[in-house]
Amino acid sequence: MYRNQQQQQRRSQPPPILSTKDDAYLTDALSWELLAAKKAHSFASQCSDNQVKYQAEQLCQMHQRHYNILLNHLSTDQQQYYEDQSYPHFHN
Amino acid sequence: MHNNRGSYGSYQQQYSGSSTPTIKNPSASFDKGADFNDRDRINDLLATEKWLTDGFNVFVRETSHQELYNDVLHILNETHHACRDVFNLMFEKGWYSLHPEQPSHIAEHHQKYSGYRSQFPTQGSGQFQTGGMYSQRDY
Repeated sequence: MYRNQQQQQRRSQPPPILSTKDDAYLTDALSWELLAAKKAHSFASQCSDNQVKYQAEQLCQMHQRHYNILLNHLSTDQQQYYEDQSYPHFHN
Repeated sequence: MHNNRGSYGSYQQQYSGSSTPTIKNPSASFDKGADFNDRDRINDLLATEKWLTDGFNVFVRETSHQELYNDVLHILNETHHACRDVFNLMFEKGWYSLHPEQPSHIAEHHQKYSGYRSQFPTQGSGQFQTGGMYSQRDY
């Protein structure tokens, strides 16, 4: 019954849930961002030129910010959707 | 005759066919020994940002729902801006040089590709006409 109602809905866009591919890309991208942030910070500490040092620190902060944006998708997307829909189970 | 400016670790091909001057700032000093120096560091960071734009370009194209798409596109955009900032800093430091194309070559190409516009499948659409599905929009 519930399942039939779901199938009858025609969506113009995918629902706000993460696909397996999304999850794979997110975890990849999180690793990229963390590595980039660490590298930028490490380089900043080694730089003698103040402009280069400042730019490296800015990059570090940007990558940490991006990390948080991406991480947020792992913490909210799925749970929120299933709470809103009171989805009983995954469909196959 | 190639000039020697920027010959150390120059990442760009020397261009010899132009009589126009090279666009380049005087090179800021940096340690030229075997050690990893400031120029190496900023160049490595630029390579990292460039690499990230490739990764995020694929990611954004593969995203499922709209919110994720928006966020990843935003990250891609900011990463491009970061590349640009690093490039500008390197240019300011004199670690990048540009070579202007000869105006006669540019004029020649402009004429050639202007002529190709007669091959447009539809005529009369102004360059800045709005309202098309793929005209500029805010994401």
